[in-house]
Amino acid sequence: MAENYMERIEALRQQYLATRVDMDVYNAKYVTEGFRDTEGLPWMIQKATGYKYECERKQIYIQDHELLVGGVGFKPRCGILNPDSASGVIEREVDTISTRPFDPFYLSDEGKQVYLNDVKDYWKNKCVLDRWNLMLPDDVKRLRANGAIFIDRKAVRGYGETTVDWRMIVNKGIGALKKEAEEALAKLDDAVPGDLEKSFFYKSEIMVADAIIHLSHRHADLAEKMASECADETRKAELLKIAEVCRWVPEHPARNFYEACQSILTYEYACYMEQNASSYNLGRLDQYLYPFYKADKEAGILTDEDAQELLDCLWIKIAEMSLFQDEVTAQYAAGYCITVQTSCGGIDEYGSDATNELSYMMIQATEDVKFKEPNLSVTYSISKNPDSLLNKAVECIGMGLTMPAVYSNDVGVRMMLNKGVPLSEAWDWNPCGCVETNLSGKLKEYTDIADINMGAMVEFALNDGKSRITGEQVSVHTGDPRNFKTFEDFFNAVKKHIDFAVDAITSGNQLLDYLSMNYRPVPVLSLGFPHCMEAGMDYSQPGAAKYSVGGGVITVGQADIVNSVAAVKYLVFDEKKVTMDQLVKALDADFVGYEDVQAMCLTAPKYGNDDERADFCVGEIFTHVVDQFEKYDTKFGKMTCGMLPVSGNTPIGQWVGALPSGRNARTPLTDGIGATGGTDVNGPTALLKSVSRIPHARFTQGTQLNMKFEPEMLQGEIGIAHGMNMLKTMCMLDVYHAQINCVDRQTLLDAQAHPESHRDLLIRVAGYTAFFVELGKETQDEIIGRTEIDSWAGCG
Amino acid sequence: MEVFEKDRQGMVLRIERSSVHDGDGFRTVVFLKGCPLRCQWCSTPESQSFGVERAQGNVYGTLMTVEEVMKELRKDSLFFFVSGGGVTLSGGEVLAQPEFSLALLKNAKREGFNTAIETCLFGPWEHVKALLPYLDTVYADVKLISGKAHKEYCGVFNDLILDNLRQMDREPGRFRLVVRTPVIPGVNDSDEELRLIGGFCGSLKRLDHIQLLPYHKLGTATYEKLGRPYELAGTPTPTQERMARCREIVGSCGVQVR
Repeated sequence: MAENYMERIEALRQQYLATRVDMDVYNAKYVTEGFRDTEGLPWMIQKATGYKYECERKQIYIQDHELLVGGVGFKPRCGILNPDSASGVIEREVDTISTRPFDPFYLSDEGKQVYLNDVKDYWKNKCVLDRWNLMLPDDVKRLRANGAIFIDRKAVRGYGETTVDWRMIVNKGIGALKKEAEEALAKLDDAVPGDLEKSFFYKSEIMVADAIIHLSHRHADLAEKMASECADETRKAELLKIAEVCRWVPEHPARNFYEACQSILTYEYACYMEQNASSYNLGRLDQYLYPFYKADKEAGILTDEDAQELLDCLWIKIAEMSLFQDEVTAQYAAGYCITVQTSCGGIDEYGSDATNELSYMMIQATEDVKFKEPNLSVTYSISKNPDSLLNKAVECIGMGLTMPAVYSNDVGVRMMLNKGVPLSEAWDWNPCGCVETNLSGKLKEYTDIADINMGAMVEFALNDGKSRITGEQVSVHTGDPRNFKTFEDFFNAVKKHIDFAVDAITSGNQLLDYLSMNYRPVPVLSLGFPHCMEAGMDYSQPGAAKYSVGGGVITVGQADIVNSVAAVKYLVFDEKKVTMDQLVKALDADFVGYEDVQAMCLTAPKYGNDDERADFCVGEIFTHVVDQFEKYDTKFGKMTCGMLPVSGNTPIGQWVGALPSGRNARTPLTDGIGATGGTDVNGPTALLKSVSRIPHARFTQGTQLNMKFEPEMLQGEIGIAHGMNMLKTMCMLDVYHAQINCVDRQTLLDAQAHPESHRDLLIRVAGYTAFFVELGKETQDEIIGRTEIDSWAGCG
Repeated sequence: MEVFEKDRQGMVLRIERSSVHDGDGFRTVVFLKGCPLRCQWCSTPESQSFGVERAQGNVYGTLMTVEEVMKELRKDSLFFFVSGGGVTLSGGEVLAQPEFSLALLKNAKREGFNTAIETCLFGPWEHVKALLPYLDTVYADVKLISGKAHKEYCGVFNDLILDNLRQMDREPGRFRLVVRTPVIPGVNDSDEELRLIGGFCGSLKRLDHIQLLPYHKLGTATYEKLGRPYELAGTPTPTQERMARCREIVGSCGVQVR
């Protein structure tokens, strides 16, 4: 089948690029019907019933050229509404969602009516988001209303950021899991306390297992019907093969590479339909798919081209999912990103190199397909993985595909250890979503329940806890900054505001956990976690997954807080170039009339240059943040932290006044853990040295570094070698992750002006990749403004 | 680590990190200030004079101790280690500050860095010889073989330069010798001059290769800042075709061209 496989891939690509992103509200209707029909029964049973209706009633399709089939919505590239999470989120947007600036979804008039008539009213004050807003503590609301934190993300959409036990799904099949549930159910005794609740769980598992299998069989039926009507013999044979595959998996163990790929895809879609959440990661695909590849090759029923074609098809079908978010949340993570991450490389259970043929083919798939998803990465073990793997990775990056992201495998393992996973299992970690850490089939977590605005923390310290944008008293009083006698007085005030925000966010987390445990059961996802089945508990409950950690909180504006703290020390306390009074007045005026002060602020030492005068505070600030969060326990373990601001640095910046770094009010904060655009002038090695001052392994939800390179820097053998050396050194510096945009500024500007001719231009936003033209203008501008490393220095 | 002659001072123009064009791997390039030549195409005119120079808010030149420079070099030691890189002394002219250059190279070698110099070789042979034991690569400029033209365009005759190259060719040791020739249209890009250059280089037994660098105009803005005339204002940059032809001519003299 696979000779000239790129013809098929190209046809699928074009089909995809020509497809409008639509809003699907039909799934929400079926779920609602399920809840209505089971009113009064346990919430979990209601949810499972709604899911069953979705699988029975949803419109299905098989597109031309497809080998792997399925879909989450009624057509390809749909956002879906998860009404039990956030029905109301779309209510105020029904008339604008088709045209909003960030991630528009086309909603037809019929769709509007379906939502307004069949969905909306049922969920009022019932969905998680409504309950969240009814119950959120006042201090959290105040911080949220003033942009010091952003905390609604997980109220809007459910559990993702997780990696199921793919090995089990593919090798056992959903049918076997259903049987386990049936057996466990039969053993329960309703007279024993606790068994009643377990029976709800097992019944739900049986219902959703049946529903997933049923939906797969519907695709088999459709394929057979289409085959019977197909005049083209080749396509007819393909359709009959699709029917055979969908009839067998995911119910049964996959028997070959093709079936394994379809089994993965079907269950991936099944999870996504349940929650409309991002990052149901494929995990270490090269590891669990390899036995199928090897066996098929040995049996002579699969060529490398066949395998590549199927991987490419899987890549395209993953990209077909489009995350629906409300218009505010979309600003924080624009680009319809579902951030389904999959990684290659790393080590095996004996600590040896785990690279195999599929590791390279995964990178090749990204080179072939050139789409934003899946979010491909290499978990690079500098001591064990071969140079050829890193070489292939840099080749792909050099093609401007923004992927794979490269992780230090050692730092990833350390993060897992820090999450409480023993080393005997931590080696098998996988990157999750943007840059978080995960463990296939074992770890439950919310990786990013909230963003904390680090720029605001400095602002509060220099304004007695008030917001310069709104004038409101948002945080605690730390006094008039003119009374700070020493730099330490100022630094301590910054820390006090961090402490206040941490406390408030943690209260929000406890509420989220309460709501999730009561109103967010996920029977489909629970199938993928063996310990849930053993314990008889849904994934949403403490103790259900083998390991769990408390909510992850993202710090946004790393460079902004560092540069601001450094500027205050340098200008006010060390060099005494500016008085605190002058500085505060300048910030109040957004530097208008204080241009001289701004000029001094801008030339003060900056993070990203390996300059001690700026970098001295990096370790202290971020250790303080993580120390504070780790003081708080939750039902699922200690709170956790990460630095993956997605695209939130742009909207969050609108809530911050002028900063001592010289940044003007309301402008974006700095993305990721990099330097503020244009301020890192000592080249990539100096940048990485500054970045290495962050205590990466303690930020167990990952730390995300964006680098932007001129394309020609990674061209040719020598360019690739330099790129490899830089990434190797990054690993030795214990920097966790880097992703590299390799596209020149001119191309981006041209794409902004002529989006129609750059439909497939990829750009790394932050831990994920998007089509540049699908981003809002502000995010586009922010990306264009990031420092471009235009040469390995000194070429003269 | 103990630093050899740590307090010795030198005049440094600037230090650039993550360069990959002046030796193996990632390199930190230390540009020394002060040069005995006045090449009309010089792209760093601010490096020529020996003292601190000020122009339009820019300060060119800082006195730095050996210790201070070493501190800068160490910042990228891990990058050097991974990539086989290190330090390249450039200019200005390395030989114009012989003791300072020697101290830097000795210390760099002690710390395991790969070392290189980029030099016009206009200096006493003893100064050159003293540096060689501490060097992995010498990039030596050969701009013109014709002495008169050399005097006209670079301000000095080239006998000393060519002598030093011949001496170096007889010198034992493990350093690698690379000749660099900027190709300046109308100055040294005639077939005849290129054959002279190729012929001379062909006679150097330990020459690793010769690099032909196309003339560029990146330094012209600095001339304006310094308020100095740029003599070659009308000179075009060589086309890719011409560069290919130049490489062919020099290569035909039996030297490897890159």
